[in-house]
Amino acid sequence: MATEEEGPAAQTGRAVLSLATDVGGAAVLAARLARRMVPPRLDGPELWRNLYRMGVRSLPIVGVTALFTGGIMVIQAGVLIRRFGAEGLLGWGAGFTTLREVGPILIALMFSGRVGANNTAELATMTVTEQIDALETLAIDPLSYLILPRVLSMVVMLFVLTVYGDVLALLGAAFMGDALLGVSTATFWNGLLDAIRVWDLATGLIKSALFGGVIALSSSHYGLSVSGGAPGVGRAVNASVVASATGIFVCDYLATYILQ
Amino acid sequence: MSADPGSMERIEGPLEAAARAVLSDARELQGVFLRTLYWTARGRREPGEVARQCYEVGYRSAFFLSVTMGFIGMILVFQSGLQLLRVVPDLSQLGATFLELLVRDLGPTISAMMLATRVGAGIAAEIGSMVVTEQVDALRMCGVDPVDHLVVPRFMASMVMTVVLVMFSGLVSFAAGGATAWFVFDVQPLTYANFSLLDRGDLITGLAKCVAYGAAIPIVSGWCGLTTRGGSEGVGSATTSAVVNSSLAVIMLDLVISGVGFVVFV
Repeated sequence: MATEEEGPAAQTGRAVLSLATDVGGAAVLAARLARRMVPPRLDGPELWRNLYRMGVRSLPIVGVTALFTGGIMVIQAGVLIRRFGAEGLLGWGAGFTTLREVGPILIALMFSGRVGANNTAELATMTVTEQIDALETLAIDPLSYLILPRVLSMVVMLFVLTVYGDVLALLGAAFMGDALLGVSTATFWNGLLDAIRVWDLATGLIKSALFGGVIALSSSHYGLSVSGGAPGVGRAVNASVVASATGIFVCDYLATYILQ
Repeated sequence: MSADPGSMERIEGPLEAAARAVLSDARELQGVFLRTLYWTARGRREPGEVARQCYEVGYRSAFFLSVTMGFIGMILVFQSGLQLLRVVPDLSQLGATFLELLVRDLGPTISAMMLATRVGAGIAAEIGSMVVTEQVDALRMCGVDPVDHLVVPRFMASMVMTVVLVMFSGLVSFAAGGATAWFVFDVQPLTYANFSLLDRGDLITGLAKCVAYGAAIPIVSGWCGLTTRGGSEGVGSATTSAVVNSSLAVIMLDLVISGVGFVVFV
């Protein structure tokens, strides 16, 4: 418990220690999950159930986010297009940022809010009601049975949802370009196809798989390491969403450098 | 009922059910919104309550926001520098273009997404656990509108603090981008800090977004908290839906305000 007279040094130290605990805990969780992958030991039906629950149920929210994102990026690029009078550049300007950067990030943030937070809440409730201990008593490995299917589903599904979101974002962008800027859809597609390389698309998708891993690990870690009963569950959800968002940005930064 | 021939039983498709649910949610949300506005104008505040919420919403989010926005600044300057080098070998406009985009769109929007995550989840969890422990019913018994007592202070605090936080984290983001431009592309800070592209339209659009997001996040999350059902699991799902719905509100408002701003100012 924090005392009243705590100096700034002690506060900084406490923050650094808790950061190290959480990052280290997530890394240890990743290593233990990786060991269970080598001959894959995971629960098949549980995997399918999670894929459905996390993927199909997120379709509407990801679709809406992606459509709007495409529209927003066209408006932002539109200011530059008006200034230089180059309509052919609209596809490039809007498509590049959407596919490479903003699309994957916004979809990942929505996914983290919907699926990641839900995952933490579920696992944390199971932990505080000792259901995880009960699994261990029954000689069922909670990591293979509960965690690994969730982590795999999140990575796979965020990737698939980003592919779907990219398509919808481009549709939204083409529609908005036509409606607001008067740039015909054909001009938009030509500008897009001329300027975008496959690698740009691939960068966004590689990032999305990475974000999926970050969300999965941090949400599972916070769910499993919860303490303090029902109020603890709320705190864990909050901490996990914040950690996922920070992790997404840090990973994005590193990935942008590596995957130029 | 089959006894009444007047109301023929129709088969409700999944789309119709979804539309019905969205409509009734929108009506409830509108109710919370109108009551918030009413009590903001009419209600009496407990002294210090708004200041406490300002601390809760603003100060406690400042570090998180500056970390994420700092990273965003570095990423975007790096990306757009690479992009520009592909087209023209001149990076002198890098800072000016980035600043314009930051003020007009990305600064308010990405910060607000982060605030929706942190503040929205916090508000919904707090109000939600008050609902399931029947503290909100106790408020009603005392003749206090829970919207007045719980949502309005957060609403006022969030409107003010979003503007402040967006300015602060935008500054952090711009500085982080400047450092990237200096170290990676060798753009001098004086060349980078170029305010020539910034005009009245950008500032007004950015400010309008800050105020709109600041108003939307506490109202949407307060609504999610107040409609909590069930026990502690209900609080969990209220938190989740607060994060998702307030992020969605931010994105929708972004499209609307950007569109209006574009039509009016460009």
